[in-house]
Amino acid sequence: MKDNPEALTSPQQVALVLLRTLIGWHFLYEGFFKLWRPAWTRDGTMLGPWSSAGYLRAANGPFADVFHRLAASSWLPTIDHVVAVGLVLVGLSLILGLFTQAGCAGALLLLTMFYLAQIPTRGLHETGSEGAYLFVNKNLIEAAAVFAVFAFRTGRIAGLDRLRRGPATQRPRAMEAA
Amino acid sequence: MNLTPEQETLGRRNFLKALAGTPALAALGVAAATRGPVKGGPIKVAWLGVGGQGRALLTRADHDFVTVKALCDINPTSLQKADEVLAKKNQPPATHYADWKDMLAKEDIEGVVMAPPLWMHADIACGLMEAGKHVLCEKMMAWDVASCERMTACAKKTGKVLEIGYQRFYNPVYQAAYEGIVKAGQLGEMYHARLVWHRNGNWRRKGEPPSPDYDPSRWGYPDFEHLLNWRLYWKYSQGLMAELASHQVNIANWFFGAAPEAVQGSGGIYRFKDGREVQDHVYAIFDYPGGRTATFSSIESNAFENYYEMYMGTKGTLILRAETEAFFFPEGDAGHATAVEVAAKTPGGAALDASESKPATQSSTAVGPTPTAGGESAERGIASRNEISRWAAAIRTGAPLLCGPERAIHSAKACIVANEALKTNQRLKV
Repeated sequence: MKDNPEALTSPQQVALVLLRTLIGWHFLYEGFFKLWRPAWTRDGTMLGPWSSAGYLRAANGPFADVFHRLAASSWLPTIDHVVAVGLVLVGLSLILGLFTQAGCAGALLLLTMFYLAQIPTRGLHETGSEGAYLFVNKNLIEAAAVFAVFAFRTGRIAGLDRLRRGPATQRPRAMEAA
Repeated sequence: MNLTPEQETLGRRNFLKALAGTPALAALGVAAATRGPVKGGPIKVAWLGVGGQGRALLTRADHDFVTVKALCDINPTSLQKADEVLAKKNQPPATHYADWKDMLAKEDIEGVVMAPPLWMHADIACGLMEAGKHVLCEKMMAWDVASCERMTACAKKTGKVLEIGYQRFYNPVYQAAYEGIVKAGQLGEMYHARLVWHRNGNWRRKGEPPSPDYDPSRWGYPDFEHLLNWRLYWKYSQGLMAELASHQVNIANWFFGAAPEAVQGSGGIYRFKDGREVQDHVYAIFDYPGGRTATFSSIESNAFENYYEMYMGTKGTLILRAETEAFFFPEGDAGHATAVEVAAKTPGGAALDASESKPATQSSTAVGPTPTAGGESAERGIASRNEISRWAAAIRTGAPLLCGPERAIHSAKACIVANEALKTNQRLKV
């Protein structure tokens, strides 16, 4: 795609890197907490080992059967491990701005899987959810945010990618990388 | 203290009404974590002393919190029965030991839930804590005051978590009663508590030795009968005061916010003159500071009243019956009622009838209001399960114990001195 003649302003760059960092923290802690378990809350509630089985079993929508089969398969421990490690790696990538485009791709892949497993088609308040959703839920919105971070190549704005590749010769331009 | 069905309904509703709007209901829930989780799985434990009470605790244990690696008992029959408990709960089998020191040397465990005869409590608990193990020890704390103090000092010195098995502290009904009624001042000035534990049956148990040549003498018991009925002999036991009164006195201490200053008593072996040494009828009067008095009676000749604690204040009366139900009667205003469900009614509870404090009724008419398949109220099972889980949590996260050795020692002291008062018919200072 051709460069947009408009270079990004500083506030625009800050906004994009802030968005990337927050998404990165979200991924990192989600992954860390899954790997950290089994664990205990400070007031003494036991939190057993994490497993994706419950989420997969609760899958609905057009791909429900696939996810249900995964939940019952012998691959489940591997899936659990891959998801948790994947979340941590994506989180680190986005926070550090290292291999940012790959990190964004990984984040999009994970979020797409999460979204497809439970597409909100009923339009009702679901158990464990603080709101009512129809088609668009927070997974989808986070995926769109990751897409924006990906499209703007934010690793070139700030992050270890700049050390890896050297700073961009020009200030990043909108839509340059999509 | 037997209530009519109408009085029961009224008292229960009054109790729940009195709780409404107080922090008591919130106290039953679990506060949110504020500092992030603590890593770790269930506590690796051994169960030491798997006779009746030990197995009851094993039945009630939540294995999300504790994983049983070893079972220890000098009676092979008890070990087999404990195996059956684990199997019923779909738990993997645990290694058997007769000698707890042997178990300590071989097992990689973090804590021990122990329910051996009373006279062994202090030696074993201190040995375990000095070996770096956390301990949940069945009540009463120890056979004499010096041993109780030794256990407390040992816990302090080693930094290990020591809890004593007073499950009422972990019973949601008691927590709600304390927070919503007692602490909230709804009883007014409280000068008297009546503690009752009446049963109609022989405390003596019958059983066969695990083998004809079984010899328990190396463990300090001249024959199998003394091992089976250790509660009936002073060398091993402190009788009804330890097995029953110490539960109720501990709660009186909690609700009064004080410990007894003096005790006088009466009692004897009146019904079962079968060679036992401990009394089958005991009566004690505990004097607390501030003119407050608790009376305790335990008889083994009539179970009409079953067991309960009644707290009488200038503004109302609180009755906690059979560890299951709570009733509140405001003074001069017994006519109002609202209905709110408070007591947790989750499934679970013990499938064993072996608890020492289970009513030894000859008939089967004394049954709690929410019995489980094993004939025990769900609340008692929940209380013990909570107790074990909270002990495990205290080990992992430092969450506070609800009873702890400091409270337990006051109850033990009072009951040990009460036995002296019973034997000598004196009023003795605690």
